[in-house]
Amino acid sequence: MEKEEDPDAPMSLHISSLPRRLLSKLDERLQLIIVAAVVGVAAGYASVLMNLGLDLAEHVLGPLRTYWYAPFFPACGAALSIFFMRNLIKDLGGHGVPEVIYSISKRGGLIRLRSSFSHIIGCLLTLGSGGSAGPEAPVVISGGSIGSNMASKLYLKERQRVQIVGCGAAAAIAAIFNAPVTGIAFALEAVLGEWTVINVVPIAIASILGTEVSRALQGNQIPFQHRAFHVTNLDLTACLGLAFLTAVSSVILLRLLSYINSKSAGWVAPRWLRAALGGGLVGGIGLLVPYVLGEGYPCIRSVISAQYPPGLILAGMSVLAKILATALTLGSGGIGGIFAPCLVIGSLTGLFYQRGLTVLLPQIPWAGESYFGLLGMAGVTSSVIQAPMTGIFLIMEITGGYDVLVSVALVSVLSATLSHFFEPFSVYHAELIERGDLLRPRTDARVLSELSVMELLERDCHVVHPDMRLREFAHIVETSHRKYFPVEDSRDGRFQGMIHLDDIRPYLFDQGLYDSVLVEEIMNRQMVSVSPEDELPDILRKFDETHSWSLPVVQNGRFLGLISKATLLDHYRKELVAQEAE
Amino acid sequence: MKNQLLHIFRNTPFGREIFLQTIYFCKTTGLHLKVYVPTHPQFLMYFANEVVTVDLDKPFFRSSETAREHAKELIRAAGVDASFLEPKGFSASILPDIPVDFGVMTCPRVISGVSSKLHLGHIGPNVRTIIKNAEFPVLIPTPIYKEWRRIIVFFGGSANKIKALLYGIHLQLLSGNPMMLFTYAENKPKAYYEQILEEHNVLSGIKSGGVEWLFVEKGHFKEALYDVPPDGLMIAGAYGHGLIKEVLFGDLMEEMHAMLPNNVVIVGPHYRED
Repeated sequence: MEKEEDPDAPMSLHISSLPRRLLSKLDERLQLIIVAAVVGVAAGYASVLMNLGLDLAEHVLGPLRTYWYAPFFPACGAALSIFFMRNLIKDLGGHGVPEVIYSISKRGGLIRLRSSFSHIIGCLLTLGSGGSAGPEAPVVISGGSIGSNMASKLYLKERQRVQIVGCGAAAAIAAIFNAPVTGIAFALEAVLGEWTVINVVPIAIASILGTEVSRALQGNQIPFQHRAFHVTNLDLTACLGLAFLTAVSSVILLRLLSYINSKSAGWVAPRWLRAALGGGLVGGIGLLVPYVLGEGYPCIRSVISAQYPPGLILAGMSVLAKILATALTLGSGGIGGIFAPCLVIGSLTGLFYQRGLTVLLPQIPWAGESYFGLLGMAGVTSSVIQAPMTGIFLIMEITGGYDVLVSVALVSVLSATLSHFFEPFSVYHAELIERGDLLRPRTDARVLSELSVMELLERDCHVVHPDMRLREFAHIVETSHRKYFPVEDSRDGRFQGMIHLDDIRPYLFDQGLYDSVLVEEIMNRQMVSVSPEDELPDILRKFDETHSWSLPVVQNGRFLGLISKATLLDHYRKELVAQEAE
Repeated sequence: MKNQLLHIFRNTPFGREIFLQTIYFCKTTGLHLKVYVPTHPQFLMYFANEVVTVDLDKPFFRSSETAREHAKELIRAAGVDASFLEPKGFSASILPDIPVDFGVMTCPRVISGVSSKLHLGHIGPNVRTIIKNAEFPVLIPTPIYKEWRRIIVFFGGSANKIKALLYGIHLQLLSGNPMMLFTYAENKPKAYYEQILEEHNVLSGIKSGGVEWLFVEKGHFKEALYDVPPDGLMIAGAYGHGLIKEVLFGDLMEEMHAMLPNNVVIVGPHYRED
């Protein structure tokens, strides 16, 4: 019976607990930096694995894409990825980034260990076979999961775990795009939702180390290097129109994705079949417009190097084809991210815009297709993820130059603002906001989420019974400092209602009624109550609706105590101070 | 929600037996029964330091439309205080999060289909992970409905076993059933165990309360189990050790479970008293 360790014993002599014990002796910031470095390296390796897998898939399947059976590749890949995720690894999560944000928002950064590899394999099957998606969401959840589980094993605090999840996400993005600043911006802007000094340091370290791992194993390559541009004021002015067009492309993409997602979810068919159908349609589109398949980097390269096949209509059709292919892949259940498709859609939107300008105003020497293609990438990415800083830095880093910073910033910010008007939430946040699961740091909802009904419960209440005479009740009122009195059935103890002092004031001054009036005659049976499981924002709403200062907390018909607005606000203030101090 | 027991309803004849055990437990202890009728093949439990994915085998979410009716019928017949759990949080659209602040949770020995064909006494990986992480004890009933008339605490003296003992005392107060201690001595004198009880201020209560103490000093552990009364609810502390230690030394929790026909409550290493 004694073959067990005491889990509460902090100094148990186990090799596995050695790092934890060593780490616990260090300053909290140093702890974060060390763990961030390890997580950064691990997430970097995960991203490299993803890249190598995609290269291998392209090497094997690339030459076969022109055959008649090519449309079946994305169908089979999507079906296999669903089979793998649901039946083999049993990971029923979504595309990746929303799960990471949810875990940070509501679950203290806890992410399942299986997510550290499942999404990478699922994405390799989807993307490698030709599905139109990006590799970044799977590596983000992979990096986040590595960080989360490492932080848990090392018994870091919840706040530290959240930061380490951000580190994993930053390192993954940095490594997959060879873009360390983008990794930092993405983690702070899209994932954690706050820019603080304490967050920046570990995230920067993780991001840099993730990038270095990628560079050491794959070389320091700028994915979409371009030549120098000659940008005039007219080009800058034309950016306004491009910002509008990229916002339109983004809104179409978001709405189509949402539409296909809801249609697919409502279709009573096995998930693998839905994904296979989506993949098959993508394969069909790929026969006509091969650039829509896979992550689409060759398409971006051809736009940036001004080698995309000529024609305004072709460019426009390519934009629509890529939007449709992406919505079909991701909406039908394929595993992947949306960054890479955004870059492709953006580059094609920029190309279409430039060609349109050339047709309309042929006498003006515009800066070139690659310039507008590059700006389009920034515009669509910033709009879809509603993170303009990430969009700006991404384009700067993956194209290897800051010479078009002003134009990129202009298109990013304007496009994000315009699309926000039609689609107020990013692709990552929309579902979470709809479910009420996005709690950003330093917001009311986040502060309230740290409190529970049970810790606000006031139990020092005088319980009365329906068959009690007013005389007896008046005596209780004399000795109590409370204004609310819960009424419980004297036989089964079930909650019957409440009495508020204001309701009975007229009776209290008429002693003639003391022996003729019973509590059940004066109590309020329609009292609104709350449950211990209720969320505090809902309880605040009930306070407002009923104009009450206290509400009874009732569970399974039993009165547990009172919750008062004053206590709630007092605890809110204390929690806010505690969070600020952290 | 410490006054509630969580039950994941399995819509099969064996599931009914397990549910009847849960109902009996609630009736005896006065706990409120919270029933979750799964509609998805998985759910998540976010414990303090780990998120546990519970993979359900098919019978759990088969015919969910009749499952709720079956559960209601049994609740109505027993007259227990019960309600259904509707998950509020979802990690993904088909991945509900189940709260983890219950007083007790009922688990069959195995939840996942992967381990359903394993040998007698085996406790499945999902159940183990829940026990390992939960702040609440886990009730593992026998496959067939069986009432219990006393509480038998397996007391070995370690921190976890003290937790089991404290939970046993708590359950004794709730149910009014007599309690019995079972100790397999392992070359230690009775005074050693008494001292531990004294340190936790429970020795005098145990002595004055007339708690029977079955103290086994000789023979093999498995042989000693023969003396355990079959009509008792066993309460045992769970392990804190890992896979390697389990493979090398075997798992006493499973041994007990394979050899005894009793319902068991396992008090895990993270169990917290109120």
